[in-house]
Amino acid sequence: MSGHPTEIKLHQQSRLLEITFDDGACFQLPYEFLRVYSPSAEVKGHGPGQETLQVGKKNVGVREVLPVGSYAVKIVYDDRHDSGLYTWEYLYELGQHQADLWQNYLEWLAAAGGSREPGSEPEAKSGCGGGCGHA
Amino acid sequence: MSFSEADVQGALKNLIDPNTRKDFVSGKSVRNIKISGNDVSLDIVLGYPARSVWNEIRAIVEAHLKTALPGAGGISANVTSKVVSHAVQHGAQLVDGVKNIIAVASGKGGVGKSTTAINIALALAAEGARVGMLDADIYGPSQPTMLGISGQPETSGGNYMLPMTNHGLQAMSIGFLIDNDDTPMIWRGPMVTQALDQLLRHTRWDDLDYLIVDLPPGTGDIQLSLAQQVPVTGAVIVTTPQDIALMDARKGLKMFEKVGVKIIGVVENMSTHICSKCGHEEHIFGSGGGEKMCADYNAEFLGNLPLDIRIREQTDSGKPTVVADPDGNIAKTYKQIARRIAIKVAEMTQSHSTVFPKIVVQNT
Repeated sequence: MSGHPTEIKLHQQSRLLEITFDDGACFQLPYEFLRVYSPSAEVKGHGPGQETLQVGKKNVGVREVLPVGSYAVKIVYDDRHDSGLYTWEYLYELGQHQADLWQNYLEWLAAAGGSREPGSEPEAKSGCGGGCGHA
Repeated sequence: MSFSEADVQGALKNLIDPNTRKDFVSGKSVRNIKISGNDVSLDIVLGYPARSVWNEIRAIVEAHLKTALPGAGGISANVTSKVVSHAVQHGAQLVDGVKNIIAVASGKGGVGKSTTAINIALALAAEGARVGMLDADIYGPSQPTMLGISGQPETSGGNYMLPMTNHGLQAMSIGFLIDNDDTPMIWRGPMVTQALDQLLRHTRWDDLDYLIVDLPPGTGDIQLSLAQQVPVTGAVIVTTPQDIALMDARKGLKMFEKVGVKIIGVVENMSTHICSKCGHEEHIFGSGGGEKMCADYNAEFLGNLPLDIRIREQTDSGKPTVVADPDGNIAKTYKQIARRIAIKVAEMTQSHSTVFPKIVVQNT
């Protein structure tokens, strides 16, 4: 397992979640990035290839971050999405591969003709199977 | 010849607590050293309940200081135990009146989880700790029978229940709340997890050092919501040496690891069968399985218990072995296991790796 976080800081103006781990690693993860990579079934589906493309999340905000046991946090976004449990391991991974993952997202978004701008949400499901029908 | 407080500290740095295998100073047990003339007095505060060995430890400490401090006059060590509260996660709801929560789990049913849980609870209580028992097995509550408690709990302040008590333990179980022994709880998952939450939080636990949670077998709803919603200090896994039980015990252990609950250790139950006629001891379920599992996962092997008809008879009759035969060999084993658990818990409360990170919201 990767490190254990010591502090999570929410920068509400710049929409960044700053997480520091006990091995010294520190990542600044934009809310939009966290939102489109939410580990929930709504976003990830129930297996590889079932992901649902998230669009229009450029300005998404975080209402609160709630502890889950001692292994994860639940992030409550202002677009009512709150079903993703972000484990320490997952947050570490997001931080380590932030650049690549973000590039992947942008490419997928472009391929699907979606936009990061808010207001572009309606029916922009991906061509990749479209998830399991969860909300 | 005179000596200082530092000399006393220095001397105790070289004395190992036989139970924790650490010296008393780094174990943070030495307090309140007073020197007047040639006399020394001090307090030794153990982080684990150990009433039965207080005298022994006092003798060790006094004898050690006598040789280490030449010229010392009267030396008096006052030994007590004080159980420290588990480091609390920021924001997580604590359970009122409970310092540490210890989950007793297994992958497979029928390995003796409830029997082990109740005897460990009684062993901790026998050492002077304040102990509670929460029966989290909603579908098959066993603790009312094992504790010899019947009747219903009284309510307190409308919203709370008072725990039932026997053998010095505070206890709560769904079994106390249903009318008949044969009434089944025909509930789906969400009802069950809600019931557990109510039993845990709406019981007025009275100043407990340890709350032992007797979990149902498996890696499902109850186990998961306990790990997510409750600040569990750690989990004890019970298994038998049989391959089929070990397979499931490994899954139980992995589940707790995944959700960040520390593993306190593994208890191997039914290690050997002791014939009640001739006393012959036999490894009927195989041998060494629990130890191997611990080696594979770097977990502590807490001890093993025999498959002995007395354990079953005593526990079924509401008087578990630790109270029915407190000085017997089996009770002694339970007490050793309980002490290992208490020491491990004390060590865990000192390390801060389990603390939940601080969450800060900034307008930046």
